[in-house]
Amino acid sequence: MKLRIDEYSNLDSPFHRWDARHKLIGLMALIFAFSFVRDLRMLLAMVVVTVIIYIISKLPVSFLLRRLRYPSFFLLAVVLTLPFLSGQTIIMSIGSLDLRQEGLLAALLIATRFLSILTIGLVLFSTTPFLTNIKAMRALGLPAIMADMALLAFRYLQEIGQDLQRMQTSMRLRGLRKRRLSIRGLRILAWLSGSILVRSYEQSEWVYKAMILRGYGHAPHPRGEFHTHSRDVIALCVILTIAAGFIGGDILLGHGSAALLQ
Amino acid sequence: MHIPDGILPVPVTGAGYAATAVTTWYSIRRIKQKEDPRQDIPKASLLTAAFFVVSWIHIPMPPASVHLVLNGLLGALLGYYAFPAILIGLSFQAVMFGHGGLTTLGVNVMIMGLPAIAAHYIFRLRKFGNKESRRKAGAFGFLSSAVAMTMSVAMFVVILLTNLPADLDVEIERAAIYTLALAHVPLIFIEGTITALLVLFLQRVRPRILDGV
Amino acid sequence: MLSQELGEPVLTVSGLWFSYPDRPNVLKDISLKVMPGERVGLIGPNGAGKTTLFLGLCGVLKPSTGEIVVLGKPVVNGDFRPEVALVFQNPDDQLFCPSVWDDVAFGPQNTGLSKDEVEARVKKALSIVAGSELADRPVHHLSEGEKRIISIAGVLAMRPQLVIYDEPSANLDIRSRRRLIRLLQASKETILVASHDLELVLEVCNRVVLMDKGSIIADGNPREVMGDDRLMEAHGQEKPHSLVPHQIPHRHSK
Repeated sequence: MKLRIDEYSNLDSPFHRWDARHKLIGLMALIFAFSFVRDLRMLLAMVVVTVIIYIISKLPVSFLLRRLRYPSFFLLAVVLTLPFLSGQTIIMSIGSLDLRQEGLLAALLIATRFLSILTIGLVLFSTTPFLTNIKAMRALGLPAIMADMALLAFRYLQEIGQDLQRMQTSMRLRGLRKRRLSIRGLRILAWLSGSILVRSYEQSEWVYKAMILRGYGHAPHPRGEFHTHSRDVIALCVILTIAAGFIGGDILLGHGSAALLQ
Repeated sequence: MHIPDGILPVPVTGAGYAATAVTTWYSIRRIKQKEDPRQDIPKASLLTAAFFVVSWIHIPMPPASVHLVLNGLLGALLGYYAFPAILIGLSFQAVMFGHGGLTTLGVNVMIMGLPAIAAHYIFRLRKFGNKESRRKAGAFGFLSSAVAMTMSVAMFVVILLTNLPADLDVEIERAAIYTLALAHVPLIFIEGTITALLVLFLQRVRPRILDGV
Repeated sequence: MLSQELGEPVLTVSGLWFSYPDRPNVLKDISLKVMPGERVGLIGPNGAGKTTLFLGLCGVLKPSTGEIVVLGKPVVNGDFRPEVALVFQNPDDQLFCPSVWDDVAFGPQNTGLSKDEVEARVKKALSIVAGSELADRPVHHLSEGEKRIISIAGVLAMRPQLVIYDEPSANLDIRSRRRLIRLLQASKETILVASHDLELVLEVCNRVVLMDKGSIIADGNPREVMGDDRLMEAHGQEKPHSLVPHQIPHRHSK
């Protein structure tokens, strides 16, 4: 199973070239600013900013669409239920279901925020190699134990994933048909999971030996080699200003009270 | 059972991050108090990856299929490492698959993590009493997992439905809570059963793993 | 760096016994002396105790009795001795950093070298194993052969004087195996190689130690030890093909 996390991290765009630490701070701030917005008039600005950022990042649109496949189910659930369940102002009736204004607006708000945050998140984490992002977090103050665990977990994720695939293939080849919900089926899943856990556990003992043989724990944990350029700081200021603009603008416009939201 | 971005207001997501930060800080402090945490870190890390991989396994639950959660067992096996492990696992999920949210990471970690810690203590209780039986371990596996799942479902449903950016009729809200909760009940049973079977398997194959990291 | 005086053994093992909690006497009264520059092949069936011996030599496992002295200093369980290096049987156990560069740099970073020194060590180690173009790759993208040479680079970057290889040619394709053999033949360190690949041992080593059931059975010239049919077969081995008179002659077409 391929973890295509770093698929597009070697393209070249202003976002790819932005220092990972500044990018983390800037884009996360923007994401939180987006989640703060309640006024419907700010939504348009949110969409525009998101689209511009995505275009600048040079990430392919197909990538974004692929990412949206899984979360769309949730989105669909929200869009299909809220407009019929929430609010008092009925604007339309479809058969026995009443389409309510508040619910519709709430669904619009949720959907827009969700999609914008997902897109910005994609830009944040796909324009830098995953490994570099972990090092950037370490440089920003992530505790060494967390960084060590994240790096090791990431490293062995592929191996363990391949182990799982191999075991599942072998099960299929030995005649295991489509799994049914039965005690036998559940037991097989338990044994499969158990094998994965045991193998990882045993491998970890070897990894520990390998680590101490090369001196693990003897030197202070490196904080990564990042160099700050002025353009990194400028870009950070720009993004933070935009984020502040969203928050300020939303508050000035009444923070959603005009749109009849809670 | 992860709450996606876009729904929860900033005070709630902020509180989630704060709570996660504090709990993680506390967990790391307890970890550092052990004499040689270096030995446990590879173990905890690889088990984190293993649990992550295992969560890709589908359980058929007509009409669709669900993914294993196993936060109960994770808590039982990892102890103080459970919280950092879940934080890492959920971060990976959000970043690699877009599953779960970035703003809601803190909240989601609490939803998974607190029950995992509870499961750890419940599973430990199996040591009390004189009878050392396989069935006892399996039963405690079921119990700790079921309790953890129930806590997670409860937290998820309540946090989600009380923070929607829309007015829900009290009636409808209650109905929604009941429906969502009820929909998860079969899942709780399945998780509990699988955890029990897993514990029995581990006892047979590698009992040391059950004593935790 | 300790400079090796001529005539001082690199490794001296005296009266080593080792037991696991569930397995007694995995190593029985092992005594061994290795001189600088020697290339010792360690052969024997699975379970003979080779890996356990190696872990003891590195200070990872504590022996029940006996003494191990490396480069004049006794090996104490838990000490960090970068002069001795072990290349594990399974490279995945040893390549625990996500990128090649990070993994090779891990050891040097832990010995407190400056950033530039670490960089130099990594470059040198990668060039020795002919793996320089792999420097930026993520580890999980490497092939078996590539993983093997990078795990060796990671160990060589610490400038060890004694390098122990545990089944280095396992799972390698023919080309990678040949690269490995050339690498071992060119190595300047004292090396111990445990292998089931008896042809490799013949090509690389100038001394062979046969182990079985925790004891050393034979120790000497490779051709003599491995050419002794009865000895080899008595301990679960076979005479390597090169030492067997040809039954099927080669027919060279002209």
